[in-house]
Amino acid sequence: MPVEARELTHTYNADSPFESTALDKVNFKIQDGEFIGIIGHTGSGKSTLIQHLNGLLKPTGGTVIVNGMDLADKSTNMKEVRRTIGLVFQYPEYQLFEETVEKDIAFGPKNLGLDEKKIAARVRDAMRLVDLDYAQFANKSPFELSGGQKRRVAIAGVLAMEPDILILDEPTAGLDPYGRDYILSLVENWHKLGRTILMVSHSMDDVARFADRIFVMNHGRLEMQGTPDEVFDQEERLRAMGLDVPAVTTLAGELSRRGFDLPRHIHTMDEMERALLSLLGGKEHA
Amino acid sequence: MLKDITLGQFFPGNSAVHRMDPRVKLMLMVVYIALVFLVKGFLGYAILAAFIAGTAFLSRIKPKFLLRSVKPVLFIVVMTFVLNIFFYRGEELLFQWWIIRVYKEGIRFAVFMALRLVFLLVGTSLLTLTTSPMALTDALERLLKPLNAIRFPVHEMAMMMTIALRFIPTLLEETDKIIKAQTARGADFDTGNLLQRAKAMVPLLVPLFVSAFRRADELAMAMEARCYHGGTNRTRMKQLHVTGIDYAGIAVVAVTTGLVLLERLL
Ligand SMILES: Nc1ncnc2c1ncn2[C@@H]1O[C@H](COP(=O)(O)OP(=O)(O)OP(=O)(O)O)[C@@H](O)[C@H]1O
Ligand SMILES: [Mg+2]
Repeated sequence: MPVEARELTHTYNADSPFESTALDKVNFKIQDGEFIGIIGHTGSGKSTLIQHLNGLLKPTGGTVIVNGMDLADKSTNMKEVRRTIGLVFQYPEYQLFEETVEKDIAFGPKNLGLDEKKIAARVRDAMRLVDLDYAQFANKSPFELSGGQKRRVAIAGVLAMEPDILILDEPTAGLDPYGRDYILSLVENWHKLGRTILMVSHSMDDVARFADRIFVMNHGRLEMQGTPDEVFDQEERLRAMGLDVPAVTTLAGELSRRGFDLPRHIHTMDEMERALLSLLGGKEHA
Repeated sequence: MLKDITLGQFFPGNSAVHRMDPRVKLMLMVVYIALVFLVKGFLGYAILAAFIAGTAFLSRIKPKFLLRSVKPVLFIVVMTFVLNIFFYRGEELLFQWWIIRVYKEGIRFAVFMALRLVFLLVGTSLLTLTTSPMALTDALERLLKPLNAIRFPVHEMAMMMTIALRFIPTLLEETDKIIKAQTARGADFDTGNLLQRAKAMVPLLVPLFVSAFRRADELAMAMEARCYHGGTNRTRMKQLHVTGIDYAGIAVVAVTTGLVLLERLL
C-alpha cells in the first residue's frame, strides 16, 4: 500500500486574520514495509501532515494518494481508507469512552462491520500485543487504569482494526522509561510483521534506532528526507532547525575529536557498542 | 468543522476602536441599540449606516467578516420579512391573491423590521469583533459593581463568565480532536437516522465530559494554589482608563443620537 503526497499544502483558517500555512508543497513516496520517522520542531506541521494521510484533513492544495485512492477526491471511500491506515493520536488515552476495556477496543472493528466472533478474536489479539492480560483487564473500566495502561488500551483499539499502515503521533509522550520502551518495542514488533509505520517523535535516539528513513519538517516544508545516516550527518543543518542528533552521535563526535579512531555514522547504541568493542580489540562481551 | 462561528469572535487589532475603554464601548452599544429602535424612516437608517460604516472603517475590520455575522440568522431575517409582508394589515392594498394581501405599509414595515435585525447584529458583532471577551466581562463587572450593594455577587459572576469564555475555544479544539480520533477509528457522525446519530454521539460526549471535569478540577486547584478567594480586596493588573479616543467616540455617538432624534421629530 504505497503512500504518496504530491505538492501537499494545507492552510488553516484561509481568508481570515488567523490564516497560517501549516504544510507547504510537501512531496514524498512511502513504500510497503518502510519505517518512517518524522521529526521537526514544535509547530512544524507534523500532526497536520499525518492527519492528511487518512483523510481527516483535506488538502487545500495538492493531493495524497494511498494505494491508488486519491484522498482529495470526494468520491473516495473513506471507510476503506481508514481500514487501511490506522492513526494513533497524541495522548490517545483521552479518546477512551466505553464502560469496559473490551468494549472500547471493539469499537474500531465494530465500525468496520465485522461479525461478533471476529471482533472478539481481534480484541484478544490486540490485548495480547499490548500486553494487557485479558482475564484481568477485559471487564475493567478504562477510566480506572493508570496512564500507561490507558495508552495501551487506546493503541490496542487501533491495532484491532489491523491497519496495513500504522501512524503514531508521539506515542511515547509523557510516559516513564519503562512505558516508553514498551510502546516502542510494540511498534517494532508490529513493523516486523511487514507493516508500514510512520512515527512522529521528538526523540532523535528513538528515530535513529527504528527508522529506515527520516522526514524532517521545518515550518511546514519537508526540509530533508533520507536514511538516518544521511540526515544525522548534517548536524549543523539540524541544529539550525532547532533539532538535534542522537546522544551517541554527539558522544562519537567528542571521542573522535579527542583522537579515538571511530567510524562515521554512529547513530544508535548498537553501532556505538560495536565501534567501541572493535576499538578495544574486538573482545566480545556476553 | 466548527470554524464558522463568528458571533462573539474577537479579531485582535490596534485601531482606535480596539483601543477604546470597553466600559465606554459597552455603554455606547446600549445607546446604539436604543437608536436602532428609535429610528423612524429610511433617513434614520442612512444615518445609522453611516455611523456603522465609519466605525467599521476605523476598526479596519473587513466588511466581509462583519456581514458574516448575519449569515447564521439570515433565515430569521428572511422569515421576519416574509411574515410581516403577508400579515400586516394596512390601508393601501397593492396586491391580492386568494387569502394573501400585500399592503404598501406592510412592505415598508417588513423592510424596517429586517433592517432593524441586521443593524442590531452588525452593531453587536462590531463590538465583539473589536473587544476581547475578557475586556468585555471586565467592563461588565465594573459597570455592575453598584449591584454589590444588594448582595449580588458581581465579581463571582464575572469570574464565572470569564472562565466560561476562556474555555470555549479550548473545548471546541478538544471536540475537534476527539471527533478526529473517533473518526480515525471508523466512527461515523454524519449518517444514519436520528437514533443512530444520537448513539454515535456517545464516543464524543463521554471523553469530552471527562476532560471538561478534569480541566475544571485542575483549574480550581491552580486557582487555590495561587490563593484565589473571591473578589474582596482584589486589585487589578490592568486598570481601565477613559482617554481622548473614548471622548471622541462619545461625541460621535452623541451627534448620531442627535441626528436620529431630529429625524424622528421631523
Ligand atoms: N486546528 C488548527 N487551527 C489553526 N491552526 C492550527 C491548527 N492546528 C495546527 N495549527 C497550526 O499549524 C501549525 C502546525 O501545527 P502542527 O500541530 O501540525 O505542528 P506539530 O509539528 O505537530 O507540532 P508539535 O510538535 O507541537 O505537536 C502550527 O503553527 C499550528 O499553530
Ligand atoms: Mg503535533
